[in-house]
Amino acid sequence: MKARMTLALLACTHGLLPASEAPVSFRNDVMAVLAKGGCNSGPCHGNANGKAGFKISLRGQDADFDYDALVRDMFGRRINTAEPDQSLVLLKATATVAHEGGKRFAKDSLEYELLKKWIAAGAAKDPENTSTVTAIAVSPKSQVLLEPNFKAQLTATATFSDGTVRDISRIAVYEPANLAMKATPDGLVTAENPGETTVMVRYLNQHLPVHLAFVPARPDFKWAKPKANNYVDRHVDAKLKTLRTNPSPVIDDGLFLRRAYLDLLGVVPTENEAKAFVQSKERRKRARLIDALLERPEFAEHWALKWADLLRVEEKALDRKGVELFHRWIRESIANNKPVDQFVREIITARGSTYQNPPANFYRSTRTPTARSETIAQVFLGTRLQCAQCHNHPFDKWTQDDYYDWAGLFARVDYKVLENRYRDNLDKHAFEGEQVVFTAMKGEVKNPRINKDASPRFLGRTQPVDGEQDRLKELATWLTSPENKLFARVQANRIWYHLMGRGIVDPIDDFRATNLPSHPELLDELSADFVKSGYNLKHLIRVIMNSRAYQASALPNDTNADDTINYSHTLVRRLDAEEVLDALSQVTGTPLKFNGYPEGFRAGQIPGVHAVAMRRNKVTGADTFLTVFGKPERLLATEEERSCTTNLGQALQLMTGPALAELLSEKNGRLDKLVASGKPAGEMLNELYWTALTRPPTATETTSLSHHLDQSTDKRAALEDITWALVNSKEFVMRH
Amino acid sequence: MKKPLSSACSSYHACSVSRRHALKVGGLGLLGLNFPWLLRAEEIAKAAKIKPRIKSLILLFQWGGPSHIDMFDMKPDAPEEIRGPHKPISSSADGIQVSEHLPKTAKIMDKVTLIRSMHHTMNNHNSAGYYALTGAAPATDDQRLRDSNDLYPTWGSVVDKFAPNSGEVPTFISYPHVIRDGSITPGQHASFLGKQHDPLFFTQDPNNANFALPELTLPAGISYERLHARRELQKIVDAQTRLMETSAETRGFDTYYEKAMTMLGSEKLRQAFDLSKEPDVMRDAYGRTTYGQSCLLARRLVEHGAKFVTVYFDDSIGGQSTTDGGWDTHGFNDTKMYPIIEKRHLPITEQTLPTLINDLDTRGMLKDTLVVWMGEFGRTPKINGNASRDHWPQCYTTLLAGAGVKKGFVYGASDRDGRYPAENMVRPDDLAATLYHLFGIDPATEVVDRNARPLPIAKGKAVTGIFA
Repeated sequence: MKARMTLALLACTHGLLPASEAPVSFRNDVMAVLAKGGCNSGPCHGNANGKAGFKISLRGQDADFDYDALVRDMFGRRINTAEPDQSLVLLKATATVAHEGGKRFAKDSLEYELLKKWIAAGAAKDPENTSTVTAIAVSPKSQVLLEPNFKAQLTATATFSDGTVRDISRIAVYEPANLAMKATPDGLVTAENPGETTVMVRYLNQHLPVHLAFVPARPDFKWAKPKANNYVDRHVDAKLKTLRTNPSPVIDDGLFLRRAYLDLLGVVPTENEAKAFVQSKERRKRARLIDALLERPEFAEHWALKWADLLRVEEKALDRKGVELFHRWIRESIANNKPVDQFVREIITARGSTYQNPPANFYRSTRTPTARSETIAQVFLGTRLQCAQCHNHPFDKWTQDDYYDWAGLFARVDYKVLENRYRDNLDKHAFEGEQVVFTAMKGEVKNPRINKDASPRFLGRTQPVDGEQDRLKELATWLTSPENKLFARVQANRIWYHLMGRGIVDPIDDFRATNLPSHPELLDELSADFVKSGYNLKHLIRVIMNSRAYQASALPNDTNADDTINYSHTLVRRLDAEEVLDALSQVTGTPLKFNGYPEGFRAGQIPGVHAVAMRRNKVTGADTFLTVFGKPERLLATEEERSCTTNLGQALQLMTGPALAELLSEKNGRLDKLVASGKPAGEMLNELYWTALTRPPTATETTSLSHHLDQSTDKRAALEDITWALVNSKEFVMRH
Repeated sequence: MKKPLSSACSSYHACSVSRRHALKVGGLGLLGLNFPWLLRAEEIAKAAKIKPRIKSLILLFQWGGPSHIDMFDMKPDAPEEIRGPHKPISSSADGIQVSEHLPKTAKIMDKVTLIRSMHHTMNNHNSAGYYALTGAAPATDDQRLRDSNDLYPTWGSVVDKFAPNSGEVPTFISYPHVIRDGSITPGQHASFLGKQHDPLFFTQDPNNANFALPELTLPAGISYERLHARRELQKIVDAQTRLMETSAETRGFDTYYEKAMTMLGSEKLRQAFDLSKEPDVMRDAYGRTTYGQSCLLARRLVEHGAKFVTVYFDDSIGGQSTTDGGWDTHGFNDTKMYPIIEKRHLPITEQTLPTLINDLDTRGMLKDTLVVWMGEFGRTPKINGNASRDHWPQCYTTLLAGAGVKKGFVYGASDRDGRYPAENMVRPDDLAATLYHLFGIDPATEVVDRNARPLPIAKGKAVTGIFA
């Protein structure tokens, strides 16, 4: 109550800042107007090249620069202290004269009044003792709005260094992340349809996110009171209940088995495995299955693929031998359940021969200090720093100095090319032969902003590291320490993403204040649990897969069809390239052919990108299949490089492509054995269905397909047709 | 029938309910009028109120941004640092001058309309490219504008939805590049209109001696009839779960099967893609370049029934080489613009553009087909410190030739130095509206985006001043 009165006293005739007698501050008011008008945004005058000859700092990062641009440049024509209304900056902003950016505010607006007053008072720089903003507060911090009341009024206050608090509601900037929501200049956020959004509230260099959920009325809604299997469900359910949304039911044993096999092993269960599991009466059989699968060699292979994508395990930079050694090291680390923090420390501190010490290949594939620092920030800390290379990050707290000081940690990582047998002189990025990664005695990264050496410093820390110590060791210790909560959060979120199809923070390598988690408490508990377990990958996988949320059906109900972020039902997505191809091989009972790998090698076992041993070898149908289905080139250290969207080319690959055509026609596979067995049609169908779809055929299917088989004179051809139909079905190719 | 649900679910449920309803109406399936076609017919009926003035369109997209001042909007009276080193020549159209490096192009100016007052404010390739290809301004001028289904569909996809052809040849075909500047440029596909309206897209090089689409070839021993029988079996399996009903991703994948079946069964389509049917003299005339042969292929595709063909000049913004890349000639890395466009971009244009327009004219196709030549923006009137030109969306030229538009005509004008439109400003929004109008599609036709917002397919106004 008291705070409110103080605010009222400070408010001027508009009920806004500043008190009408108070002088207008350049830093606190004019700069806020430039942000509010969008003038200093990237597409406008905040652009690196400015716009139409007028350049100010991006999002007001440099008030001194902006003062000069406004007052001194163009011989001071932008400001007219004698006739403030004739100031170019006001004429432009009100579109009184032609302004490419259009009208930013009206003549009777607060923005206009503040600028005019400041100009009329002499367009002065602030006195030395002008207070600066130290914090802002926004109310509400989050809000759930029930239809039809889809309106949220946000208010904001700023605290200054002299202790004063001002209402900044009218001058703060409101930016909804979800473009379906609209915010008015005075902070009223509205939605036409249900949904969720983060609204970023900005004032000068401060910003805070607000989470708003617009919930449909659903007057008949009844919470279904689903049973929680563990803390995952308690958090997921708590939010679903607020959103008046019921989760979909748990899937049956067959579907669960298929999902678990694909997620943990990257393969589909065999007929025998499937039947045994479905028929088993064992209690806790799902939990036991998860335990058993975690110990299979395919688990390490499948999860090694995910890390190999991120750590850029590809032949061009690493060479074939490096790819195989690095991949084996990753795979064995996972098989031995090496704690994830230790795994990461070993990568960050790796030096020596890329043949003797496999993780040293990490510094071989990322070859410059900035590439290394960007990759390590993105992969291990979920932080995208790239923006801050040229200017302070517009949506995050990172400054250009942060960027170069962080890169400085890698300034001395160097490598010696012992030999390069690669013969193409045109391609300077390809190597073949041993290299040695080592730490040079000296060397620093130049920070172009100050044109001086950067002072190596951890992200978010103010103190530089001791430059003469082993920077990589210090970095590895700091990065993976339990105190560095971000590391555990990012790794827990990545494991969650691979099992649930969407990160709690999404994209999973873009953690920042402006990209809120969908379930903050769940992420807190998952990461705390992860740390407590000793960064135990298998433990976290068990927790997630035993939850009801993981086992939810992909089929929506009347309340959750539109949900894509709250895990009310399972998100349907296409299987990964390797998963589809390996399943095709298993169903047809025919090994795949890759140039450069022995017959029987599964796609999920390929260590690198190109299976071909020799660059000039012709690619096989299987190689092309993987490319069309989105196996990444591993040139970007992000999961986004792997595509799981569908396209016409993929449909054609499955319909008429060489890979499946060869698998179907190959001799001595499952189809030949079925024909030779002379079994009745029903039994043949049964085997094909359990093998391909982890279920028996339905009555309709038995009738139609038996008919197709019985009336056909060429039994093998009929079986080919049926197998084709099964592996082209959506049940086969989608994870659901 | 289910009882009405809250607004959020209504569109989805309307869809699933009418699908079931459609399935219950026996017989329709037998006639091939299955659900998507039925829906399509309704939508088309709603949209078709305007008389179409063109049957097909060939879009030649000049990625990187060609310089208006060095091609179709010469400024001979401007100071040297603006007019550049090239001189204008007169053309077959009264009062229209073009660059001296385009003498053959000059001879077809009596067949074209030039819009010299194109304008927008997107300075980055990806945001400008998206704007140019969709007619929808992105929320921000951001290079990282991510290609997502929240963004607008490209022109060809709108035509595919509201004015599809009925034959075996796809309505919308695009090739031979995915354009990108770092990340993939949005605006190359159907986005929220749905995957079924994506173009038939390929990257095989039509200038390659063995150019063919393997996708159009059946494997040995598989007849079309057998493939058809397999597809029917697949449909039986797909009918056992509700995945198709409930997952848009799954439905989208199935529409590709539908499309693929039509394509694989079409002799006409195979013919359309068979460039070997063209005499050598014709192939030479278009130029033995990827772009030249792509334009020849565009003519063949339109001849066989395609309605919207997009040819991308190059996959990269380029500008730094005389052997590859698009029009982005900043002069970076000591690569001066003038030798580069003189050796690469202008000669390729000079060989191909007039050949295509004359070929279409000779065959009588130009009265039904419109050729649109444009980039995502123009280039700075003032030559920069590298003796080259930077991005300039404020004012640039788009060339249109053929059906529906005036001949030997200039619409709009730039100011003295080609900096801003001096009259009749045309934004990408207006150009989109114009093209839809020419196809007989009302630009105000509403579509629904992923957030269930009703949006007009084009927010601009048709530029009727250029209509013939």
